[in-house]
Amino acid sequence: MNKIHSLDRLRNFRQGIIDQRKKFAATMIICGGTGCQASRSKDVIEAIQNELASQGLTEKVHVRATGCHGFCEQGPILVIEPGNIFYCHLTPEDAQEIVSKTIQKNEIIERLQYKDPVSGNRILTEAEIPFYRAQNRLLLSMNRLVNPGDIEDYIAIGGYSALGKTLAELSPDAVIQEITAAGLRGRGGGGFPTGKKWTETRNADGDEKYVICNADEGDPGAYMDRCVLEGNPHLVIEGMMIGAWAVGAFKGYIYVRNEYPLAVKNTRIAIQQARDLGILGENIFGSSFSFDIEIARGGGAFVCGESTALMASIEGKVGEPRAKDVHTAVDGLWHKPTTLNNVETWANVPAIIHNGSAWFAAMGSKGSKGTKILALTGHIKNTGLVEVEMGTTLNSVVFDIGGGSSDGKAVKAVQTGGPSGGCLPVDKFHLPVDFDELYAAGSMIGSGGFVVMGQNTCMVDVAKYFLTFLQDESCGKCVPCRLGIDRMLEIVTDITEGRGKPEQLDLLEELGATTSETSLCGLGKTAANPALSTLRYFREEYEAHIHNKKCPAGMCQALITYQIDSETCTACGACMTACPYKAITGEKKQIPTIQLELCQKCGICRSECKFESIQVN
Amino acid sequence: MTEKVSVTIDGAIIRAPKGLSILDAALDHGICIPHLCRVPAISDLGACRLCIVEHIQNGRSKVTTSCTLVVKEGMVIHSNTEKIKRLRRNIAELLVAEAPNSRAVQDVAMRCGVKEVRYPFRNNNCILCGRCVRICTGRLGEKAIGFVGRGMDRRVVAPFDLKSKLCRECGWCSDLCPMTMTPCGGPMHKGQERLCTNCESKQTSLDQMTGYCVACYFGKGFQCERHPERFTGIEE
Ligand SMILES: Cc1cc2nc3c(=O)[nH]c(=O)nc-3n(C[C@H](O)[C@H](O)[C@H](O)COP(=O)(O)O)c2cc1C
Ligand code: SF4
Ligand code: FES
Repeated sequence: MNKIHSLDRLRNFRQGIIDQRKKFAATMIICGGTGCQASRSKDVIEAIQNELASQGLTEKVHVRATGCHGFCEQGPILVIEPGNIFYCHLTPEDAQEIVSKTIQKNEIIERLQYKDPVSGNRILTEAEIPFYRAQNRLLLSMNRLVNPGDIEDYIAIGGYSALGKTLAELSPDAVIQEITAAGLRGRGGGGFPTGKKWTETRNADGDEKYVICNADEGDPGAYMDRCVLEGNPHLVIEGMMIGAWAVGAFKGYIYVRNEYPLAVKNTRIAIQQARDLGILGENIFGSSFSFDIEIARGGGAFVCGESTALMASIEGKVGEPRAKDVHTAVDGLWHKPTTLNNVETWANVPAIIHNGSAWFAAMGSKGSKGTKILALTGHIKNTGLVEVEMGTTLNSVVFDIGGGSSDGKAVKAVQTGGPSGGCLPVDKFHLPVDFDELYAAGSMIGSGGFVVMGQNTCMVDVAKYFLTFLQDESCGKCVPCRLGIDRMLEIVTDITEGRGKPEQLDLLEELGATTSETSLCGLGKTAANPALSTLRYFREEYEAHIHNKKCPAGMCQALITYQIDSETCTACGACMTACPYKAITGEKKQIPTIQLELCQKCGICRSECKFESIQVN
Repeated sequence: MTEKVSVTIDGAIIRAPKGLSILDAALDHGICIPHLCRVPAISDLGACRLCIVEHIQNGRSKVTTSCTLVVKEGMVIHSNTEKIKRLRRNIAELLVAEAPNSRAVQDVAMRCGVKEVRYPFRNNNCILCGRCVRICTGRLGEKAIGFVGRGMDRRVVAPFDLKSKLCRECGWCSDLCPMTMTPCGGPMHKGQERLCTNCESKQTSLDQMTGYCVACYFGKGFQCERHPERFTGIEE
């Protein structure tokens, strides 16, 4: 392949690709991300390609296998342009019909259309889907435009031109000034001002410096970094290159979690393609700037995402955090100045340089600019990856995008920020997605996890769930985290099992504060959030467990009893057959009774009963 | 001569050589900051978190460990504020609940003002301070023992649980271990989570103690750097 030595060559190369693609009358965009691959999108792509070939359309229709679109629950997804026609839940068997009807004759296949769970209507175009409509998909929408395995796609949409502009026109200080003026803050959890971090590394002594991309993403349920890196690796690479130029680094690392094979593969291909074109390497675009990137595979532990642990892990040491009295921006990888940013942070950089800081700073709230990708799950109608402008209210995320509660009952709370985030009750849903406001309310944006909880979620149990996760993931090095989390979990377990004592609530608060205040790394510093935020907003639930030995949500097995409601019971006997412990007895055609001493509280009868006659007290 | 910098610890202006930690600077000048995981002359770990202090920067106070904090010209440190005392007491309480029968840990708890333990006792024979591991790797350059496991599974073991060929039987690990002191006569028992009269009587005198080192008897237990009877084998 010919190397791109100059900006002119880049422009010509791009025009060449665009001209070459004019022959296509239509484009079929099919999601090939991890989620859709799990629902056989690879087979769908193959079937469509075969079908196009057999109908003689290969030269007319462009098939683009892209990264994740964020609507994985509807996968595999297909968008046909022009027309923006949206089909979902495809199978390879649908290929023939799609090509012969929709592609050849513009006929819509109703069966494949998306049905809005709120209104029940079939929806024709992607743009009209409420799930997408309420979003601002700055980064995610780019995924539809590129095949991650093809650098030409990325260049065709203007890729690497921000890098070109940087190298031709902007001094390192000017780049940092743009990023600072844009108000970009770290998307990895802390919300640290990116410009400030870059300045620290730039001003640090030494000429061996590094940039690192944090794609460890250990939060259970979060997958926005995977989605961006897997779907658009060149965007991240370009961002890192601009950053490297600004801070003075010649080498970068992308630290990817081992559980992300597709992201590793796509990134590796992308790096190779960039090297082949001379975009990575020596004297990039004829400038004095040289840069290369290596992939480092993660160790798998949650704590390896923490900056010092991550760097220890790249150095080949045990991935354990160390004290950070001097920032890693100054004393980082191999004790050299190192700028570490999250995938999403890097991905925001090219557009800021391209469109200017004012464009970026115009989006978002006072202290948080741009957009944030959230992983929306839980008791709601639409789940998936959503990208919203900072400042969007929780209400809008849960109801406009998420479509509200999945079972028709009221939503109770939302847990934001991943395992060490906090739970916010419905009366806090007016709060915006904003680093500072969510933090002040006892939660955080964190990595962007967003779990919506319904009425039958017990908040004490939620605290217990996250504490259990954190207890497993604490590295165990420092006392407040190792023992503090363990004792918090002990207290919460006592409460859910009916052994709780009133004074334990104060102890939980005090211990939580001590753990937050004195732990060595961010894991310990935030580990008390799930307990403290639920205690702050749902204290009465804790008290009900302690004083009345009742679990209001009916979740804590030790505190509930099952009963049959004689008013609604039709004596069908389904529960008697279903109970694996033979704890439900009674005569035929008569209302049965539950033998409490035999009942194991498994809840099977409750889910079997068609008349909702099994009550929990 | 090494260059010196001035730092203020609890109001006292101290001249300390560059590169020294705040903890060492304080101890050198008789300011008492409790510490447990520290091993003299070996790079610090920041694991026990007992040596926390408030570091005042731009008018804001940050809690950090003094053993990992290196002196810098003009630094302002408070080691004995109400907040620090409370946090330190809570950490010591967690520790003593793990190993209520260890004399060293009892002494730490006493020094930090623990009067009552609010958690059920466990009888562990290791509190993972890491002194043994660090003397072995940091001082002797060997790796006869090390940490394995994460979180609550963290343990100190020899590789593959066998006595390592690397072990030179110097015995420093056990000399430094806070669990090897003869336990006190009135250990605390399960279900009786309080300190016995022995500790209580010591604490009476503690209440009157200032933040200045008086080479108190607790220091021997947790091998305070300043205590005359601490283990000194490792110093040059
Ligand atoms: C326990 C723990 C886990 C973390 N995991 C991640 C992660 O998976 N991905 C990430 O980008 N940042 C993670 N972070 C935050 C990083 O330490 C670091 O702040 C971040 O990568 C900096 O990038 P940013 O400024 O762009 O956010 C984690 C922090 C802690 C304390
Ligand atoms: S806070 Fe937790 S994870 Fe971080 S160093 Fe301490 S024990 Fe390890
Ligand atoms: S943390 Fe400083 S001595 Fe243990």
